[in-house]
Amino acid sequence: MKEELLPPIEESVGAGAMAPPLPQKKSLSIFRKRVRKFKSLKRGYYSFVLLLVTYALSFILPVLVNNKALAVHYQGHYYFPIIRYYPAAQFGMDAIGEPNYRELKRKLSRESAGDWVLMPVYPYSPTESLLDLPGSPPHKPSREHIFGTDDRARDVFTRLAYGFNVSLTFALLVLGSSYVVGISVGAMFGYFGGKLDMLGQRLIEVWSSLPFLYTIIIVSSIIVPIYIPGRNLLMQPSFWLLIAILAVFDWMGITYYVRGEFYREKAKDYVGAAIAMGVSEPAIMFRHILPNALTPVVSFAPFAIVANIEALVALDFLGFGLPAPTPSWGELIGQGMNYLTDWWLVFFPLAAVFVTLLLIVFVGEAVREAFDPKEYSRLR
Amino acid sequence: MTGYFLRRFLLIIPTFIGITLAVFVVMHFVPGGPVERQIMRYKMAMQEGGGGGGGGRSVEIPEEAIQEMKRYYGFDKPVHVRYALWLWNVLHLDLGRSYIYQDPVWDVIKSRFPISIFLGLTGFILSYLVCVPLGVWKAVKHGTKFDFMSSFIVFLGYSVPGWALGTALLVLFGGGSFFNVFPLGGFRPDNWEYLGFFQKIGAQIHYMFLPVVCYMIAEFATLTILTKNSLMENLGQDYVRTAFAKGLNENRVIFKHALRNSLIPIATGLGHVISIILAGSFLIEKVFNIDGMGYLGYTSILQRDYPVALGILVISSLLLLVGNILSDIVYVIVDPRIRFK
Repeated sequence: MKEELLPPIEESVGAGAMAPPLPQKKSLSIFRKRVRKFKSLKRGYYSFVLLLVTYALSFILPVLVNNKALAVHYQGHYYFPIIRYYPAAQFGMDAIGEPNYRELKRKLSRESAGDWVLMPVYPYSPTESLLDLPGSPPHKPSREHIFGTDDRARDVFTRLAYGFNVSLTFALLVLGSSYVVGISVGAMFGYFGGKLDMLGQRLIEVWSSLPFLYTIIIVSSIIVPIYIPGRNLLMQPSFWLLIAILAVFDWMGITYYVRGEFYREKAKDYVGAAIAMGVSEPAIMFRHILPNALTPVVSFAPFAIVANIEALVALDFLGFGLPAPTPSWGELIGQGMNYLTDWWLVFFPLAAVFVTLLLIVFVGEAVREAFDPKEYSRLR
Repeated sequence: MTGYFLRRFLLIIPTFIGITLAVFVVMHFVPGGPVERQIMRYKMAMQEGGGGGGGGRSVEIPEEAIQEMKRYYGFDKPVHVRYALWLWNVLHLDLGRSYIYQDPVWDVIKSRFPISIFLGLTGFILSYLVCVPLGVWKAVKHGTKFDFMSSFIVFLGYSVPGWALGTALLVLFGGGSFFNVFPLGGFRPDNWEYLGFFQKIGAQIHYMFLPVVCYMIAEFATLTILTKNSLMENLGQDYVRTAFAKGLNENRVIFKHALRNSLIPIATGLGHVISIILAGSFLIEKVFNIDGMGYLGYTSILQRDYPVALGILVISSLLLLVGNILSDIVYVIVDPRIRFK
């Protein structure tokens, strides 16, 4: 193999086209090649698989981590509380509302009448205050509550597990919505150029010069629980609203890259051919150029997700994040600041943030190496 | 090129107006403004004064009083008039008067300067002192065990936000449950004035150690990797090959030839030093309970102290915009090949 002495300073999609055609059995598309390269980068690839599996599992968390029983066998009948609501009286308990299935399990096994309760692996709910625990919350980690409980006696582990799903879903949705806007805007700037580009760049400069978190706090303090005089009204920021707010401040990052790619691609022959054939402008932009301009879009994504999760954790920490009972990592760290001796309120959420972000960064590094390779060579 | 930078400086004006206008308009429509806060405080006072038995009894405030309050805070005028007035005052270097502190905004902000400058500058200098040599060393030792091990620290720095690491450090070392090494927060001890010179230095290091570590973590990953990649890129260039070919020894090639060129992108960061120093991270300041610029901005938003919030915005956005241009100027000075047009 011939060693490359000069590193390719910038590898664009078109570079392959300039190489002399080699006799090949079957050519792989550039995207396939990159995916293959990505798979060969073990650390990033396994991180990706691990994240994917964990994220998929986090959608069936109600089956794995919950205080509702999966199945109950009671007096010859089968019940499935996980999908249906049963009053406590159904099982001969005198509580009002839904029965405490952990207690039911203990009771039935005491009676040993052949009845049983099948609980999830970790039988606690993220919003359930465990008031029957001895002492006052937050409780230390114990065998039943491996990460302890928070200041409202809610199990920390379940809140972290559900928080994983919330954080990642949130980050992905912010990424998606800011990509839709950012890519379209960047594509227009790069494709049409001229006055639109000039003016747009200025507007983006203004918008991106706004101090990000500072402005978000101003905006979301509009909707943070506030008391409106005269009316006894409490308003809360909702999940979707917070996504919208973050996306509004987040879409600029990708426009620069997409604009640059479009600017470069526009000058190439295939675009000229498409114009000559009378293809409509949106079709040229999104069907012809965009697939060739995806490199920054893909390699930017993992780092954008990291930034989104960090923003959510910071907002939750400050109390401007998701509405109150939502399981959240940042909110737990914020609690930890109020109970500094209760280390589990800080360490475990922080470890969750760290491990998740680390895996995403690993994926990001591998994606970048596969999609935007910069090879370094040294003589000695 | 002078023309280019002149144009850049002139462009500050519309950008500045855009930024402040955007925030001004948002603030105007945020409920719970100073007038509403005053009304609420008044109502609460009335209810407490009235024996407290009323509970949900609503207290009516005369319309004239509300109008008077609106006039006092300038809320009786439409938003564009208020913005114009505010801008006019800013041009005359008058940022207004704080609603909460009742002092001129400039004085309130100015009192926080020493804290933010101290923290920002220390963190900035230390991160350059640590990251640049580390990046160089990682590039020289690329692919070795040292490179691999130090990459782990870099990834750690990238995956944990500085302020979040701060919470963990406080729990660990802040006298919570593990080691009682550092104070729980604050900028300086209460008895600062009575300390001798060396005691002051000791106390300052004692108080600032953890916050500065958190400041550095934020910069650590990006700066180290930037240095490393930049040097790696240069080591693959033709002139390095030539230098090796003519028989120079490795140290000379790396440190005399390649390193100088690879420091160019790092030097551009120096232009931003002015905004880093003053902008501060309110998250870190909040975690460590340090009363700096960032924390002031945060509390001023919470308390709807608009003049202070806007004043900080004015200062930080101006510094950011000027810092951008300074970066470009530094770029041109360091690298004569660069030409802006």
